[in-house]
Amino acid sequence: MNTWKESWRQTRAEVLERQEGRHWYSTRGARRLIAAAVVLSLVLLWADVALSWADAPSEDADLSDFALLALSMVIYFPAVTLLNIATRGVVEMSERNLDERQIGERLRTVAVAHQVTTGILAVLYVTALVAGSSRGPDYSMPADAIVSMALALLLTHFVLPLIVSAWRLPDPPDDDD
Amino acid sequence: MSAEDVYNRISVLRAERGISRKDLAAALGVHYQTIGYLERGEYSPSLFLAMRIAEHFEVPLEVVFSLKPFPRLGSGRVS
Repeated sequence: MNTWKESWRQTRAEVLERQEGRHWYSTRGARRLIAAAVVLSLVLLWADVALSWADAPSEDADLSDFALLALSMVIYFPAVTLLNIATRGVVEMSERNLDERQIGERLRTVAVAHQVTTGILAVLYVTALVAGSSRGPDYSMPADAIVSMALALLLTHFVLPLIVSAWRLPDPPDDDD
Repeated sequence: MSAEDVYNRISVLRAERGISRKDLAAALGVHYQTIGYLERGEYSPSLFLAMRIAEHFEVPLEVVFSLKPFPRLGSGRVS
């Protein structure tokens, strides 16, 4: 039965096999540059969290929050799309669309990304603990900062395997001889 | 050579049979880049995939895969 879900899966698989714009990601250096751009977009998101935490509530903070978020997303979406194509959807596709090499690669990248995420959560915990204890027992984190942090954490958790995969990926063989 | 290197003659067999990477990949149900990585020795297949490759070329497994490098063509010629 050809459901919309299958049709979407097929379209996505076809898009990920496209060869247009290959020069953008055909070399390891280019892929790592794009991965670095995604990291930069995450850094901007985390800077937004820090700003929300330090300055909220204020109108200036709202404006700079929005500017940082917008800039981050402008970098994030095209870079993530390129990385998904470069890695041929190793992280993005469902397992049944991948072969054994791709599944193995995905398992390795998810394992590395999991370690990195654990490190980030540990740093976040210590930061919150120190900030909380230094400002007294009545201190509570601003709601804006919590929302920003949730978004930053979600996107970091979501995209880290893709960054790791793109960073590790060797140059693919020529498509055919 | 690392202890886990597995050498193969997929590219030789493929060239001999006139099969493209994409055709072989489609026949085996893997991504065509996986064939390229196999040929470059950057990926060692599972036993299942190795047996399917040998079956596809209709040759014994040891004709396609070896733990030692395959001799170059003509290197074993009797003078």
